[in-house]
Amino acid sequence: MISDRLKKTILNVLHLEDFEIQDDTRADEVPGWDSLNHINVILAVENEYKVRFKNIEVLKLKNIGDLQKLVDSKTN
Amino acid sequence: MINRYNPNETIWERWSLNAALFPEKEAIVHWDAEAEPYRWTFGSLLQNADRVALALMRKGISKGDVCAIIVRHNAGFYPLYLAIASIGAIPAVLAYPNGRLHPEKFRQGLEGMARHSGLDWIMTERELEHIIAPLTLSQNSMIRGIIFPLELHEDVPVSNDEYKEILNIRNNMKSTDPFLLQHSSGTTGLQKPVLLTHKEILLQIANYSEAVKLTDKDKIATWLPLYHDMGLIAAFHMPLASGITAIQMDPFQWVMVPEILLDAISKEKATLSWLPNFAFNLMSDKIRTEDLEGISLESVRMLINCSEPVRYDSFMKFLASFGHLGITKEKLAASYGMAEITFSATQTEPGVEPRHLEVDRQLLSKGTVKLANSSTQVVRVCVSSGKPIGKTKIKILGQEGSELPEGMVGEIVIKSETVFEGYRNYPEKTAEVLKDGWYYSGDYGFLWEGYLYAIGRKKDIIIVAGNNIYPEDVEDQVMQAGGVIPGRVIAFGEEDPAIGSEQISVIAESHFTEPEMLKKLRLDIIKTGMQIDVTIKNVYIVPPRWLIKSSAGKPARKANMERILKSKEEVLWG
Repeated sequence: MISDRLKKTILNVLHLEDFEIQDDTRADEVPGWDSLNHINVILAVENEYKVRFKNIEVLKLKNIGDLQKLVDSKTN
Repeated sequence: MINRYNPNETIWERWSLNAALFPEKEAIVHWDAEAEPYRWTFGSLLQNADRVALALMRKGISKGDVCAIIVRHNAGFYPLYLAIASIGAIPAVLAYPNGRLHPEKFRQGLEGMARHSGLDWIMTERELEHIIAPLTLSQNSMIRGIIFPLELHEDVPVSNDEYKEILNIRNNMKSTDPFLLQHSSGTTGLQKPVLLTHKEILLQIANYSEAVKLTDKDKIATWLPLYHDMGLIAAFHMPLASGITAIQMDPFQWVMVPEILLDAISKEKATLSWLPNFAFNLMSDKIRTEDLEGISLESVRMLINCSEPVRYDSFMKFLASFGHLGITKEKLAASYGMAEITFSATQTEPGVEPRHLEVDRQLLSKGTVKLANSSTQVVRVCVSSGKPIGKTKIKILGQEGSELPEGMVGEIVIKSETVFEGYRNYPEKTAEVLKDGWYYSGDYGFLWEGYLYAIGRKKDIIIVAGNNIYPEDVEDQVMQAGGVIPGRVIAFGEEDPAIGSEQISVIAESHFTEPEMLKKLRLDIIKTGMQIDVTIKNVYIVPPRWLIKSSAGKPARKANMERILKSKEEVLWG
């Protein structure tokens, strides 16, 4: 389940007022989240949660649910 | 290293010679952030290409067939490409569709390309079968079949007849035969096919190698896509033909983790890399200091900025971020080229900082170059892309078509030994750009002391991160958003200094006035762009009859762009 905090962080960096995000939503389904913006989203999430992701962890993300799990694993 | 030019030589002969001379030397290292690099030697690459060539012949592929390759950038791509060429078939590398691209749009684009380019076979991955297969079933389809090359496993011994057939094809190849079909980059439907011969490619490589003073100590590191001339000719064909190593990586991996390029340069001691301008900004902004631990860029000779207007600020930013790792001003370089010239028309000199001029921006916009002085109000820094390579000639033409002297801005036109003969099956498009052997680039620029400075475009094409986007494509899409008045949309490129590239903006007329409706329309417009895999950054929604029309009755792109950028505060609704 995507937390409001993660959703808000993503929408803020993409300048979106609202957009429905589910566990299985892929980055390419979210307006503005293209390959060039991907790195901005990841940096924003890292800053928000004060965590650091490894390259390999970022490359393995398949959907936003995976990103949520990664954040949870770093913060718990 | 082999870099002598022989007008009768074929590319296949050159590859075979390299395999015979340097069988154990690494030809291509496929770099992967998730796995150990895959290393093809010149020997193993050609042996594997032979195996794949046989499998392709057994599938019915023969000399002259155009084979579209739509596979992700992976280690299996290279022997496949060589195999197609080795039996006289014509490879055409196409972009693998991003998940954002609507399947129907992708199919339509491919259908259009098949009609114009004459694609005979599609070589792709199983994942795309459901999208591509319907194309081959339609009655009028020119496409003869789909092949999944990464699944080919041919262990059946080669018969004498098969061996004779392959040898026969290879022995009868001529340097003037068509070798590959490159597509000018663009969004769906409007890509134009450029057919290139062995001779044009090898001559371009000979001229370009000379311009960058290529030696057998050079190694190329690249993340560039292979469906683009800079990636395919400079970073793939040139090393392969010259007997030097290329370190290749997937563009999608690079854009997500840009430090992998620096890691590859450092570990493999690469000396050359080509990058569109935005890449200099992206790496400077996104790579963190801690990611640079253990990285040295001392081995680099040239990082060549090409495919987008070269921005001085981007170079300075890059120097500030990576100067301490061994990058100096003299290692930054620039080139100017396009698929229609095979790749490059100009190149800056190795080991010398590219020239730059500080000029009066207001006078420049009126077509005159005047160096800035203390009284200049607005200064623009123009970076040179160097001098013409080989026997290339460049002229700057004014609006009436007459040649302009140095220091005057006009259209850049090019005469080159490696200019293409025309777009395949597009005589009308060819006639627009090719006149008396001169290629009309559609770019604006000027010459100064024999050096070329490209500063903008005559055509409306938008270049986003090295990709050409046709505004017509974006406008057609946006029209489909409910609430947009039909025919009342324009798309244009808006400069974004932060990313060192352009971003796509759209102005659309609508009857909507409610804030909620406008908010929804803005999102709907962005979503329509996603269907053709373009990101619309700015949406300006304006009231009916806001757009200025041209004499032909259509909204005038340039006039409306200028209007919105001058007064966006007052008219911005959405």
